[in-house]
Amino acid sequence: MKFFIQGIGAVTPLGPTSLETWAALCRGQQAPRILLSNPVADRSYFSCPVPGKFVADAARQPRLRRSGVISLLGAAAGFNALADAGLKPDAALSAGTAIVFAICSGGVNYTRRFYHEIVKQGANAASPILFPETVYNAAASHLASLLGVNGQSYTLVGDSSVGLGAIHFATELLTIQPQLDHCLVVGTEEADWLLADAFASWRMTTNQDQFEVYGRVGGTIFGEGAAAVLIGRTGPLAISSSSAGLPFRSFRESESAAREIFGGLCAQELPEIIVSSANGTFADEVERKVFCEFYPSVPVYALKPATGEPLGASALLQVAVAGLALRHQQLPGTLAAGSKLPSLNRTTRCLSASRALVTAVGFNHQVNALNLYLTQSPY
Amino acid sequence: MCTMQGSDRPNRVLVTGLGVISPLGSDASTNLGSLREGQDSVSPVGSFDVTKTRCQTAGQIPDDWLENGLPSDRVSERLHRGARMAALALREACAQAQGAHPELMVVGTTGGGMSFGELFYRRLLATKSRKGFAQLVGNYTPQKPIQDALELNRLRIPTRILTNACSSGSNAIGHGFELVRHGLRTCVVCGGYEPLCELVFVGFDSLQAATAEKIRPFDKNRTGLVLGEGAAFLILESEKSAAQRGAVALAEIVGYGVSTDTYHLTQPHPSGIGPRLAMERALESGDLEADTIDYVNAHGTATVFNDATEGAAISELCGRVPVSSTKSMMGHALGAAGAIEAAFCVLALRDQFLPPNINFVEPDPAWKFEVVANHSRPARVTHVLSNSIGFGGTNATLVLKRV
Repeated sequence: MKFFIQGIGAVTPLGPTSLETWAALCRGQQAPRILLSNPVADRSYFSCPVPGKFVADAARQPRLRRSGVISLLGAAAGFNALADAGLKPDAALSAGTAIVFAICSGGVNYTRRFYHEIVKQGANAASPILFPETVYNAAASHLASLLGVNGQSYTLVGDSSVGLGAIHFATELLTIQPQLDHCLVVGTEEADWLLADAFASWRMTTNQDQFEVYGRVGGTIFGEGAAAVLIGRTGPLAISSSSAGLPFRSFRESESAAREIFGGLCAQELPEIIVSSANGTFADEVERKVFCEFYPSVPVYALKPATGEPLGASALLQVAVAGLALRHQQLPGTLAAGSKLPSLNRTTRCLSASRALVTAVGFNHQVNALNLYLTQSPY
Repeated sequence: MCTMQGSDRPNRVLVTGLGVISPLGSDASTNLGSLREGQDSVSPVGSFDVTKTRCQTAGQIPDDWLENGLPSDRVSERLHRGARMAALALREACAQAQGAHPELMVVGTTGGGMSFGELFYRRLLATKSRKGFAQLVGNYTPQKPIQDALELNRLRIPTRILTNACSSGSNAIGHGFELVRHGLRTCVVCGGYEPLCELVFVGFDSLQAATAEKIRPFDKNRTGLVLGEGAAFLILESEKSAAQRGAVALAEIVGYGVSTDTYHLTQPHPSGIGPRLAMERALESGDLEADTIDYVNAHGTATVFNDATEGAAISELCGRVPVSSTKSMMGHALGAAGAIEAAFCVLALRDQFLPPNINFVEPDPAWKFEVVANHSRPARVTHVLSNSIGFGGTNATLVLKRV
C-alpha cells in the first residue's frame, strides 16, 4: 500500500502559510530573533516566535478563545494543509479523516504559569482555566472539534524526530482502516523562556543570536511554529518509505542507529536531496558522518538556522520543505552553514529531482527518516 | 517501511505476557489477590504538600516496591519513579512471555516524568545554581522513562508514546492489537505508565473533579475521583507466532474502538455519545453483539459527569451487564489506567471472576446495569469490555476474550 502527501501546511516565524514560508526560505530570509528572559535567574535566550497576526484567524475561533499558542499554531497549520490540498472541511471530510499530532513540550506556557501559581500562591490558588490546556492532547482535541472529526485523534509525544514517527503512525492507520481517506498529521511547538533555559542546562541551547550547522557545536535557538501534511491514497508526492525509528543511548550508538535507519530506507532508492535536522547540537555530527558515508554528493539543506528549532514541529516542517522542494524543483540555501559538510547546499538553486530524504536525530535519543518520491513531473 | 502490506485475513491476537505494578500490588499475582479481596489501597499523599487541596489522598505505590529488584547502582539511583514502574512491569511481562521478540513498544502516559519538571522549576525559583538541572531536564520527558525501562530489560526496539490523556493506555494496547491483527507486526509490547505528580494532582483538584471523600464510582452520591499511579504492559502476539514457540495465551484481544467527543475539552457530551460510539465500534471490530459481553470494566472515575455519561452509554448498549470500576480500589492512574485495567481484565478472564467496585453504597436509579458492589465474585466470563475516557474527548474501548 502506498500513501501520498496531498496537502502541505505550515505557520512559522517566516510566514503564515507553507507557501509564504517556502518563499522566504528561498529568498534566504532568517526569522527575527526575539530575546526571551528568565525573570528569575537573569538569563536570556534568543528565540524565533511566530507573530501573533499569523494565527489571527485561528484565534477568532470560539473554541480556541482560551487555548494556548500551541493549539492556535496547530489549527492554523492543519487548515493550511487542507487548503493546499484543495479541500474544505465538511461532513464527508470529517468522517474519513483521522488526526495525528506530534508534540514535544506541549503547552509549556500554560504549564509553567499553572505550576508557578501552585509554588508561589499555594495549590488552592491554581487556575482551573489553565490546567486543561496543559494536557498534551489539547491541541489535537481543538482541531478535531474545529473539523468535526469524531473518529480517531491521536497525539504522539517525543523529541524533534516525533513528526516522522507520527507520519509512520498515520500510514499504519491508513493501512489498517481502508475506510479512512485521509490522515492529517500536525506537529506544533510554542516558545517559552523556560524551555530555552531548561535545555541550556543540558547544553542544547546557545545564548547567541546565531548558530552554525555542520560547524561549531554551540547549541541551538528554539523556534516556534507548526507544520502539517495531509496524507491520502492518491497524489503526485508519494511517501515511498518511512520508519518507526530507533532509539539510541550514546553518541556511538546514535551513529549506528542513523546508519541503520538512513541507509536502510535508501538502500534501493538514492535520494537526490536531503532535508536534515541539523540544529547546532551533537546531532549535526551524527548526520554528517552518515551523509558522508552513504550520500557524499547529495545536496543537503538544513532549515533550522532560518526558522529556529521548533522541536515538536521540527520533523514535519522538514517534510513540508522537502515536499515543496520537489514540487517547486528548487532547494533553498542553508544559512549559517559550517564547513564540515561539503555537500551542504549554500545557495538557493534549481533542481531536477524526484527523491528526497528527510532525516531526524532527536535530542532525546531517537533517530528516524522518511523518503519522498515525486511520481509526476511538476511541469 | 511505508509500503505496508497487511495480511488479507486478520490474525488472532493473543496476550502471551502480562506485567503490572499498581497500588494494589507489585506484580500480577499480588494485584490479583487484592482484586479478589476488594482491597482499598488509597492512602494520604506523602510525596508533596496537599494541605491546601480538597483531596488529600491517592493510590500510591510504596517506594520499596520500586527499589526492590532493580540494580542499586548510580544509574538506577537517577531513574525517574516512572522508569522504575515501567521497568518492573516490562520485566514481568517479558518474563511471562519468555522467548517472545517484541518488534515495537507502544506506550500510553499523560505526565511522564513530570515530577522532575516540577523539581526543576522549584529549584529554578530557589537558587541560581544549576547543579543537577541537566539530570532533571534530561529525564522529565515522557519518552525517557520508557527508554530507561527498555535499557534495564536489554531491549532495543522502536518506541511510540501516545498521550491521549486518560485513554492513552487503552489506545496503546488498541493500536498494538491492530498492528498484529493486520499483520503489520508479529509481536508488540504495549501498555502504559503513570507516576503521581503534584501538577496533575492539583489540576484535578482545581477543577473540583477530585474528592475529599472515598472514591465511589457509580454510586448515587459519588463526589469525585482520587488519583492513582502504576504501570502495566501486555505482550501481544499473533496466534501463529505464539503457536510456533509454544507460548501459553492468557487471553485474546478481539476488538478495539475509539471515538472523539468534540463537545468540550474537559467535559463529555451529556448524552454519552462519546463512550457509546467507542463501545459500538469495538464490538463491531470484534464482530460481536452487545449481549455477548459478560462484564464491563468501566472507566468509572466517580465524577458526576463521567459516570453519568458512561453509565448512560453502558446502560443503553449493554443493559443488565455486571460493571465495576477498579479505580475504586486504587484511584485513577490516568495514562496508565487503560493498560492496568486491561491487565485486570486479563486476570478476570483467566481466573473467572469479577473484580469489585468498592465503597459502593447506593445505586443510581438512572442505570440498568448491575454494579459488582464491594466484593469480587466468581463468574463465567468469556467477553469483557474495558473503557477509557479522557480529556480532549478521547474515548477508547477494548474487547478481550477468554482463551
